[in-house]
Amino acid sequence: MTDPVVRLSGVTKSFGAHTAVSDFDLTIPRGTILGLLGPNGSGKTTTIRMMMAILLPDRGTVELLGGFPDFSRRARVGYLPEERGVYVKMKVLEQLVFLGEIRGMTRQVVKKRAMEWLERLGLEEWATRKIHELSKGMQQKVQFIGTVLHDPDLLILDEPFSGLDPINQDVLESIVREERERGKTILFSTHLMEQAERMCERVCLISKSRKVLDGNLKELKRRERSGMVAIEFEGDDRWLLRLGFMDPERVGDAYHLAVSDTATQNRLLAGAVAEGVSLRRFEVLEPSLHEIFVRHAGEQSTEPSLRAAGGAR
Amino acid sequence: MRQVWVVLRREYLERVKTKGFIIGTIAMPVLMIGFIGLSVFMGAQANRSEREISLIDFTGRIGDVVASGMADLGYDIEVVGTDVGLEELDRRVTDEEIEGYVILDDLTLTEAAFEYRGLDSPGPVREALLEGVVGETVLELHLSSIGSESGLRQLLNGGRMTFEPLGEEQAEMERITGIATGIVGAMILYVTMILYGAYVLRAVLDEKRNRVVEVVLSAITPWRLMLGKILGVGLMGLTQVGIWAACAALIGLLGVPMVAAALPAADLSEIAQFLPGIGSLVLLLVFFVLGYFLYSSLFAAVGAMCNTEEEAQQAQFPVITLLIVPFMMQMFTIGGRGFGWMDWAAVFPFFAPVMMYPRAVAGSVPWWMVALSLVLMAAAVVGTAWVAGRIYRVGILMQGKRPTLRELVRWVRVA
Repeated sequence: MTDPVVRLSGVTKSFGAHTAVSDFDLTIPRGTILGLLGPNGSGKTTTIRMMMAILLPDRGTVELLGGFPDFSRRARVGYLPEERGVYVKMKVLEQLVFLGEIRGMTRQVVKKRAMEWLERLGLEEWATRKIHELSKGMQQKVQFIGTVLHDPDLLILDEPFSGLDPINQDVLESIVREERERGKTILFSTHLMEQAERMCERVCLISKSRKVLDGNLKELKRRERSGMVAIEFEGDDRWLLRLGFMDPERVGDAYHLAVSDTATQNRLLAGAVAEGVSLRRFEVLEPSLHEIFVRHAGEQSTEPSLRAAGGAR
Repeated sequence: MRQVWVVLRREYLERVKTKGFIIGTIAMPVLMIGFIGLSVFMGAQANRSEREISLIDFTGRIGDVVASGMADLGYDIEVVGTDVGLEELDRRVTDEEIEGYVILDDLTLTEAAFEYRGLDSPGPVREALLEGVVGETVLELHLSSIGSESGLRQLLNGGRMTFEPLGEEQAEMERITGIATGIVGAMILYVTMILYGAYVLRAVLDEKRNRVVEVVLSAITPWRLMLGKILGVGLMGLTQVGIWAACAALIGLLGVPMVAAALPAADLSEIAQFLPGIGSLVLLLVFFVLGYFLYSSLFAAVGAMCNTEEEAQQAQFPVITLLIVPFMMQMFTIGGRGFGWMDWAAVFPFFAPVMMYPRAVAGSVPWWMVALSLVLMAAAVVGTAWVAGRIYRVGILMQGKRPTLRELVRWVRVA
């Protein structure tokens, strides 16, 4: 159970002169939700396609569920490609039955499970309609059902939430969380930082074909301190100046102070005690994922367009 | 194998259920039946109006012969006695009891000239037939002193050649049937290869373009997917051809007697002789199956390496050429006998469906050549499927520009 579900090491892929993914390492432990984050064109889809052996890397190795992503391993994966592919002329249920049957499920079992899923996503009335009669969002939900129908161990979802309205995004998000509760491993790509922050246990940030950083989201935030402390107290703020904090920024009732290390933090706290200030709140602020991303992507590349893209939401 | 079956069934059902298939399959026989029905109906209509032509013969010598001559051609003419008189006949015309009438008189006996009276002209066909019959009758009358009547009839029909085949003994009728079956069979094979090949190409291309294939291929090997698609489309093709064949048989059983009843002049027994034997039909099926596998795997490979319709149009050109070249060559040797080297070209697997089948049923090549071509075709099916399968495997997931020939070779080697 401790084996990683996905392991990429030193993976590089070029298309002609353009390097889409460069020297990429990533390990996904079992039973986690990992968000693959990056602006458009940063190499997310290429990475995912290599995991599914749709593309083969020029260099490096890809391991999926313990080995080369061969046919039998891919069969245990639920894969939702970025570009939505469905047989538009088929009926919804028939399409799902087809997808289940080629994975070796019997007709009765697929039908039953497909109907359960359709009900769960509010599509049961559309079961006998042709797919091209459905809206884009509904088609996307049908495709999602096709991804989870065979109860895969690993879900690889390429931009699963794009194009969905907020209500359906919530529905899908909660289903993804439930799958996680059931012990599944989930990897999804997105360019929405807020969503990743809401959903992921782990994140992997990509920019310009390279991994910027990855790891447990909470640990990352702890490590990637914002260097800011929020402080709220009774009375005036002159004691701050006396302690040498020259430019407190007023945010509502609180003051935000640039406090870069633990020693300064302690000095601030000790000072407050010594001054007899009555504290209401003292919080070391966590950086947002967006801030972390911009910080690291910015270090790596000074191209302004990239930073702008990194902040896109 | 179950996966192949699942893909096959989807491909087959999704195709057979489309409006295009139903219309395409049903419309053709309906049109044919309609056409035959219409011609029978028209024939009956025409006959009814012809009965209203009368004939009055003032010479008293050729009226009955002319009427029976016209009857042989399918037109009834009523001969009236001279006692009826021209005024009465004019009245019958104006009262629309009869359509018109023919007057034969002394001038007819000398120059075969005659008069037709009616509100309208009898029409070009009947006019020509009447002129012919009257002319023949008069000529016969004039020459009757020279020889027997039947000899004269033959003479009037013009010269006649009979062919005495000096080669292997073969019934003339059988040979003609073989050639006719061969031509029709070659046409059917040519059209179905192109038609169903294009279906396979489209099916592959669509699947690749809308990216369904990425999902499907996470569950099934490319080879099985390709096989399932080819079998599914092929089965649809057999269904379609089967329905057409059944309709043709139905037309043969019901339609031909109807036509015969309407046109007594047609000789039924002659038609029966032209119908192909069961052996030629089985051979046609064998050539269809082998040829279809051969070409459809090529079309599948072409579909897999293209991204757009336009690209596919261009890329399928070499494959289409492989079909057109033998078809052109076949046109030159329509009788089944051509240049000797063409018989050898027909052995070439990709040419065999269009070129070897007509040769086989016309019996213009020795049997071992037919057998050789079938064996070679079977071998080529295996080889082509191997190469096409490899191109398919790489191409189906490849987006971007179409591969060059060198890249294709690399795909086949590496895959």
